[in-house]
Amino acid sequence: MQAASDALTCNGPRIPACSDASSPLQRIRVSDHVRFEQLVLPLLGAGYNLARWLTGDSNDAEDVVQEACERALKYAGGLRGSDARPWFLTIVRHAFYDWCQRNRPAQIVPDDAASIDAAIDPAAIDPEQAAMRSGASRLLAEAVAQLPLAYREVLILRELQDLSYKEIARIVGVPIGTVMSRLARARALLQRSPQLQAIRN
Amino acid sequence: MKCSESEALIAAYADGQVGGLRAWRVGRHLRGCAACAAKHQELLALRERLRAEIPYFPAPPQLQARVRALLGDARGAEPAGPRARQDRWRWLAAGALAGCAAMVVAWVTGNAVIDWRTNRDLAVEAVALHVQASLADHLIEVASSDQHTVKPWLSARLDYSPPVRDLAGEGFPLAGARLATLHGERVATLVYRYRLHTIDIFVRPVSARSPAAPRTLRGFNVAQARGSNMDYLAVSDVNADVLSAFVRRLARPDAAP
Repeated sequence: MQAASDALTCNGPRIPACSDASSPLQRIRVSDHVRFEQLVLPLLGAGYNLARWLTGDSNDAEDVVQEACERALKYAGGLRGSDARPWFLTIVRHAFYDWCQRNRPAQIVPDDAASIDAAIDPAAIDPEQAAMRSGASRLLAEAVAQLPLAYREVLILRELQDLSYKEIARIVGVPIGTVMSRLARARALLQRSPQLQAIRN
Repeated sequence: MKCSESEALIAAYADGQVGGLRAWRVGRHLRGCAACAAKHQELLALRERLRAEIPYFPAPPQLQARVRALLGDARGAEPAGPRARQDRWRWLAAGALAGCAAMVVAWVTGNAVIDWRTNRDLAVEAVALHVQASLADHLIEVASSDQHTVKPWLSARLDYSPPVRDLAGEGFPLAGARLATLHGERVATLVYRYRLHTIDIFVRPVSARSPAAPRTLRGFNVAQARGSNMDYLAVSDVNADVLSAFVRRLARPDAAP
């Protein structure tokens, strides 16, 4: 667990890693408010979408985004307009991992490829299971939801948030090469997924 | 480029993350290699399906409300200091705004006064010129009722070319023209006859000032009009109504030759 949270720390500047302050709202200045309203509120949809894909549940996603907003409000002072989106998504991601540690610690695995792959749902790639399930669900979205967390997040950041490799690397806190290999793994899994095979056949 | 090299780059290429020369080299390889091209196509197809089929979840309205409430909470928790300061800024801004408004009013009024005075000065000067020329019998420097003689004569002596028309058909034959110095500028002066009267028309390119209402100075009537990018100022002893109608007729662009 300790290793996992270490691996999740981001190398970006001034990102709140955890919510330790008990009443952070006392010290917020007016300018931070304005900045938050102008820069962060428009990104609420992007943040919610990411949280929704990470948690897989709308209520949990709301809690994560609210937590992220509290942190963003606290740190809005150091924010510049141009990188508001990766900045806020980084906070949402951190808020999610903190939430995950409290609520679903089993989902957090060490940050290496072997451990991540161990989390792959065998049903997702087993052709026999696929044949059995193909009638039940043909939704590609389900295949995405079944991807291991580490693969799912880079895929969502890339395909739904349309971020560059560099931005994704900053948000996830890994080198660009790792972003590329995780994306490749995510795509390979999807291409082999029963949902895609079922549609193809 | 070899397949081994291209394979490593295909995904990044499909994601638009390869630039410059490398992108060009990958593109060239894909055109020549069916296997790599197929991989590239597969990636593009997957992307298309992902973007078409997996939902982008929009933030629910209650989340918006929750975050707004968060802002409200934080605002309520603000100490009194910043608020008072904010109020002071508000008063300052209001004061500055009022000051600006007062300046605008002063500027507009001032301009109106200057306009009025300039127009009066212009009329006085024009009447003086008309009287001077009549007394010295120097009303006309180029005597012609032919607009094609008068216009080139004026154009050659001025830095603009005033419209010249003979309106004999309407009872205002063109008698000729002269140059005058009005308000320090050389201006074209067209001379028309109306029955036994003489009418001087000073024609200048439009200025910033708007034409003034007709007036009577020392028994002479003065009327102004604007048209075809020219200002017309008429001075004569003819009836004020006739003079006004005539100067407006001259300025009307539809009658331009």
